[in-house]
Amino acid sequence: MRILELIGGNEDIGRGPLFWLPFALVVAAFLAAPAWLTEFEAYNISFYLLNIPMALGLCLLWGYCGVLSFGQVAYFGIAGYTYGIVAGNLVGLSWGPLAGSLAGLAAAAAVAAVFGYFVFYARVQMWIVPILTLVLTLLLETFLGQTAGYQWRVGSVQFGGYNGMTGIPSFQLGSHVFFGFSFFYYVLVLVLACYLGCRMLVNASWGKVLLAIREDALRTEILGYDIRFRQWATFVLAAVLAGVSGLLYVQWGNYITPTQVGLLQAALPVIWVAVGGRDKLLAVIFGTYALNWLNYSLSSQGNQYALVIIGGLLVAVMLFFPRGIVVSIAEFLSPRRRRSA
Amino acid sequence: MGLTGGLVPPVIAATGFGGERAMDELAVIASVLYQFGTNAAFLLLCALGLIVILGMMNIINLAHGELMMLGAYTATIAYQRGVPFWLSVVCAFVAVGIFGAILERLVVRRFYGRELGALVVTWGISLILAQGTLVLLGPFMPAIPIPGGNFAVGQYSFSGYWIGMIVVCAALIAALWWLYNRTEIGLHARATMQNATMARALGVNTDRIYMLTFSLGAGLAGMSGALLAPTTSIQPFMGQQFVAPAFITVVVGGAANVIAGALSSSLLLSLVKTPVGFLVGAFWGTVVLLLAALIIIRLIPDGISAAIQRWLERGARVR
Amino acid sequence: MNADSTSNGTLLEVEHLAKRFGGVVATDDVSLAIESGGVQCIIGPNGAGKSTFFSLLCGIQQPDAGRILFEGREITRLLPFARVRLGLGLTFQTNRTFGELSVRQNLAVPMALRSSEAEERYRYALELFELSEADEALAREIPHHQRQWLEILMVLAGGPRVVLLDEPTAGMSPEETSHTAKVLRHLNATGLTIVVVEHDIAFVREVAERVTVMHYGRIFADGPLADVTARQDVRDIYLGRA
Repeated sequence: MRILELIGGNEDIGRGPLFWLPFALVVAAFLAAPAWLTEFEAYNISFYLLNIPMALGLCLLWGYCGVLSFGQVAYFGIAGYTYGIVAGNLVGLSWGPLAGSLAGLAAAAAVAAVFGYFVFYARVQMWIVPILTLVLTLLLETFLGQTAGYQWRVGSVQFGGYNGMTGIPSFQLGSHVFFGFSFFYYVLVLVLACYLGCRMLVNASWGKVLLAIREDALRTEILGYDIRFRQWATFVLAAVLAGVSGLLYVQWGNYITPTQVGLLQAALPVIWVAVGGRDKLLAVIFGTYALNWLNYSLSSQGNQYALVIIGGLLVAVMLFFPRGIVVSIAEFLSPRRRRSA
Repeated sequence: MGLTGGLVPPVIAATGFGGERAMDELAVIASVLYQFGTNAAFLLLCALGLIVILGMMNIINLAHGELMMLGAYTATIAYQRGVPFWLSVVCAFVAVGIFGAILERLVVRRFYGRELGALVVTWGISLILAQGTLVLLGPFMPAIPIPGGNFAVGQYSFSGYWIGMIVVCAALIAALWWLYNRTEIGLHARATMQNATMARALGVNTDRIYMLTFSLGAGLAGMSGALLAPTTSIQPFMGQQFVAPAFITVVVGGAANVIAGALSSSLLLSLVKTPVGFLVGAFWGTVVLLLAALIIIRLIPDGISAAIQRWLERGARVR
Repeated sequence: MNADSTSNGTLLEVEHLAKRFGGVVATDDVSLAIESGGVQCIIGPNGAGKSTFFSLLCGIQQPDAGRILFEGREITRLLPFARVRLGLGLTFQTNRTFGELSVRQNLAVPMALRSSEAEERYRYALELFELSEADEALAREIPHHQRQWLEILMVLAGGPRVVLLDEPTAGMSPEETSHTAKVLRHLNATGLTIVVVEHDIAFVREVAERVTVMHYGRIFADGPLADVTARQDVRDIYLGRA
């Protein structure tokens, strides 16, 4: 079947039974969560997992396409706040959260589409993209920060300024509300779907063209491809994935603040992706999970140096493991596999 | 920025120029010019260090905001110890300049040619600097009172300090121009900017030029931070407020010509920001900046300085 | 014979094309017609504007004046990728294959818009250039002449009507050059229009039907191979006497 073929391809780490067997085991272990995890632990792990789609999007954009965006958290926030507004106004209706989710994704996609148009169709030099995406997210934070006050609301939902939007409804399908273990499963399934979907994408011809654009955009154009469209489309896709993470976040914690789109938060996806290995999806999954776990472990122990350590980790990785820790390990372990950069 | 607005009781208008009416109109003009000048000065101060580094090494230093913060902290600490303000600013320039040189030697130089890598690693550094400062020095520092007083024209108040800063900016531009165009080291720097390999082949120590340039860029950032310190609160994340304006100015100016880019970009963006900020408020002024930047790069993707360069070359005809 | 080309029609044409970079005139009032189904060689000393001419044809650079026509249709303002989709192909003067990608990946990238004749040409060249679509070697690791061939193959994979080859045999040994010429001749015989910039006179003689000489951005001479290469003033340019 074509789908299986696409999932099984070369452009990500791991193929064949040697990979898929352990992969299936890990997934099975997660699925058997109630047997060995407390609900609180599952709650925490949900948080590590829900950041993965955003990281996958950045991986596609940066690792595979060569476009670095520092502002993916902007779409995280846009989706989260939009969900909060729509679902919050539709409280009591069982399809409210679903509508809110779709609205959130649509909002993220729309903003990315417009912003991306200006950036990619201008054919700017590549260093400009990180700057402009960062500026956008900083402006978003400033805007959201000054929305304190009663007049800043949509329907019955307040923005809340720097205190953020609270009381955001959990996700529900029909009459089932997702929290605790059911939320954990919901996140797991979504993250798996995103990963497999991205894997199919990179193994398909779209993925090959992305690699080509990353390597030599002019050459790719002179092979007949509309580079700007491809970059724009990948940018919008990455924004939607970031939006998925944003949705899961507000459905996990039922609140969101402007800090989620601020400078510190904006650094995190870049760090997860850079440390794991930006051009391989699986590496990014490892990196995201591990660093979120590390961050939580450090901060929950009251360690003030958490972000200093993580910043230091980023610098160290950039200096000594430029391809990322997981990718370096994977390459070391499979000598026959050629570097596909 | 934005220190005008009816905060000061109206001054008795001087008659003899046609009365109060003429004085009021003069005051409005003066106020608008003042806002234009201070906005441009602010953008220039934010962006100068960044553009110097970008023009030479094609690297965007994402730790720029934190270097400004370090400058502000240095000046504040010096000032608290009794050092006169202007000398504190010089201390900031020197201290952050030295820090920049160390940073270049240890980290940045490994990323020449790898622009995106440089972006990411300088971001990591900015994280370390900001968080580190928070942990080591706490969340707040005592503020520096604005030197110089206010004076009024009509119903508008003008800060002597900001006027001074406009002058300082002009002096900085002039000094940089002199450095790049009238000194030997400036000549070496320009040669390295145009063609590093060729410059090396002609005996220019490009490694040293890179280090000195990064150091200069850092020092300028530190100085800007120190100069802007009295206008804002001193805390570890203060660099953030300068990041957006700095980057927008740099993106619009481009890297083709450092001085022309910085100057023209600040002036142009101030032209856009001043009316909006005047009418609607500072935040929307910055939003308009971003919109203007998006439109400008759509039209001139490699920045204003490159357009200026092309316009200058148009006049040159061979044959 | 010429299955998918309009026989004896003009495929690609430029009228009064001009391009200046700062003070340097790269292209000076160039008018040229490239016949469908032919092989045209563009020769001239370095700096004569040959590569710039190709950039203009492909849309990488925009001309200051003049028009470019493809099958009679104006394409002067058309974006490069659109021109490629119309049937234009280009290889670059300095080899531009995807160095960090494998041969397999390189060959997987081009659009497969092939007619059956184009498919045949691609397969033929693939075999004669001794490359394999399953090769995992990185493009930067294979020998130089094979990398040149790889780029030509990538262009052929898109099924173009006309290919612009910028110094394809640069750095090749005489045997490799001759082999390239042989392959190109066969491709042309199956209907592919070829325009090639070259310095190697032996190659030009083996391949060309028409020769265009460029000098200081202008067309100095244009005509059948024998006529042009016989001219004394053409030889003078090459020997630096002009």
